[in-house]
Amino acid sequence: MNRFLSRDFLSGLMFIGFGLLALYFGQKLALGTPVRMGPGYVPRMLAFILMGLGGLICVVTLFAGGEPVERPKWRPITLVTIGIVCFALLFERAGLLPALIVLVFITSLAGEEFKLTEVIGNMVVLAILCTVVFKVGLGMNISIIRGVW
Amino acid sequence: MDLLNNLLLGLSVAVSFQNLLYALIGCMVGTLIGVLPGIGPVATIAMLLPITFHLPPTASLIMLAGIYYGAQYGGSTTSILVNLPGEAASVVTCLDGYQMARRGRAGAALSISAVGSFFAGTVGTIIIVIFAEPLTRMAQKFGPADYCSLMALGLVAAVVLASGSVLKAIAMVFLGLLFGLVGTDVNTGAQRFTFDIPELSDGIDFAPIAMGLFGIAEIVVNLERRLERTGAIKVGSLWPSAEEIRRAIPAVLRGTTLGSLLGVLPGGGPTLGAFSSYTLEKKISRNPSEFGKGAVEGVAAPEAANNAAAQTSFIPMLTLGIPSNAVMALMVGAMIIQGIQPGPEVMTKKPDLFWGMIVSMWIGNLMLVVINLPMIGMWVKLLTVPYRFLAPAILLFCCIGAYSLQNSTFHVLQVAGFGVLGYIFVRLGCEGAPFLLGLVLGPQMEEYFRRAMLLSRGDAMVFLQRPISLGLLITTSLLLVLMALPSIKKARQQAFQEEG
Repeated sequence: MNRFLSRDFLSGLMFIGFGLLALYFGQKLALGTPVRMGPGYVPRMLAFILMGLGGLICVVTLFAGGEPVERPKWRPITLVTIGIVCFALLFERAGLLPALIVLVFITSLAGEEFKLTEVIGNMVVLAILCTVVFKVGLGMNISIIRGVW
Repeated sequence: MDLLNNLLLGLSVAVSFQNLLYALIGCMVGTLIGVLPGIGPVATIAMLLPITFHLPPTASLIMLAGIYYGAQYGGSTTSILVNLPGEAASVVTCLDGYQMARRGRAGAALSISAVGSFFAGTVGTIIIVIFAEPLTRMAQKFGPADYCSLMALGLVAAVVLASGSVLKAIAMVFLGLLFGLVGTDVNTGAQRFTFDIPELSDGIDFAPIAMGLFGIAEIVVNLERRLERTGAIKVGSLWPSAEEIRRAIPAVLRGTTLGSLLGVLPGGGPTLGAFSSYTLEKKISRNPSEFGKGAVEGVAAPEAANNAAAQTSFIPMLTLGIPSNAVMALMVGAMIIQGIQPGPEVMTKKPDLFWGMIVSMWIGNLMLVVINLPMIGMWVKLLTVPYRFLAPAILLFCCIGAYSLQNSTFHVLQVAGFGVLGYIFVRLGCEGAPFLLGLVLGPQMEEYFRRAMLLSRGDAMVFLQRPISLGLLITTSLLLVLMALPSIKKARQQAFQEEG
């Protein structure tokens, strides 16, 4: 078994990575003294602890072995993320309805089954529901289709 | 008589029309989401956070508490009816609850669990009322160093009791603490890790993190797993037979006692309560072979225990400001967003909010029994909606909810980002709960740490010189040492294996 691809070893690397990021982006923050700590004191302390723990996890895993990481299925996580990002980009520029159609379409692709008629039905129901609840009911300041309503 | 006055004050706040309404909405929406297979209370609360933000503080907390109970109730419903627990705490309910349902006693199992939970919730509320004041008074004697050590103890204990790998969980706490530092430094006004993004100067908003880490990640995992469906579920009569009642009552009493005790422990909470009480029932039962085949005690005791524990786990949060599990961390986050710093001051400075919330917890429990239980048929119908319809709908509501926080699409993008991070955590077997605890406590802990060091003129020994702080730190290190002992390590692993 490949120990470097175990869940524990990779998570150790992740912690070290976050520690390094914190050190890199926090290097301009003043350290201060233990009496009057600057804004950089605690972040740097945490970063070192995090890297220490990450290193420890890696070392322990190399000696003790660990569960192999499950092969991720890329489709759901990628499509869900893309769907949400598209929603964010479209929501203010084009309005709720286009954003909704794109989000529902893309995230429906993430599942195992995809039937166009069902997805369109789902869109219609959700569009009506959202309009009634958020625009009419709660009176949120959002446009359904930008420039039209 | 103070107690009575406090309760009356609470009652007067809780029964106002507006607050009753929010408690009701909270319970209903909580059940609605909680009943969806594979979605537990933490994800439910995380996704519903935005709808409470535009309410006044008291109403928003009342609604959140309602969502919590509703989600738990919904979780037990799916456990019993379709054998799909939404969270660890209702895994045990599946064992015997689903077997009862298969024998046509689903209705009885549901009502025993609901009434048992209500009883346990009532006892839990009484315990909160009794212990809130003395604990608060004690907490007011704490100095900055003591607070810092108390938080350390809370974090370590939560990690030790509630998760798989201790080392990884501790690292997650520190990662959470680090994320909590993003934003403007309170003491100097310096921008930390904000990357010149104005939205980040107040810190990373709590809601998008919670929604991404718990809500989105959970949906994605569910999409991968392709949830299995069972056919139509017959609920049957809600009335348990005399025999079932006779067996359930002592089990509920035992479950309530055990759950209330374990709920107060940091990291204890509902899961520990439910598991321990199931084990206890099995041990003292005259015919243990019945367990796993639909024993009434196996439903009644853990359901009572998890509700009692859910209730008493509010105690450390309300009196000390220390969340003991992920749900409480979400509550703390919600309070901070409402401008309330959880801790001993809440009770003295905002007695109406404090007691109002406690009384409405009880009312929320009552609502679940009288209003929700008869509506079980409707919730069952919801269970038959395929996940491919639900997932896009839930994601859509999450997006709109995130946008509505500050009318900013940046929050929606944050949800997407933290969704990815949450998914990585799941894949690497890193738990989100310790991260969330660290995130919530991070800013406060830094504040207390810096203040303590300032007062002691930079002498770190202050944490060992103050008796309270020293005691807390000794307890913390004892816990850590205990975990490293081989025998305990083994027993602990076994306990978690049973769980998974």
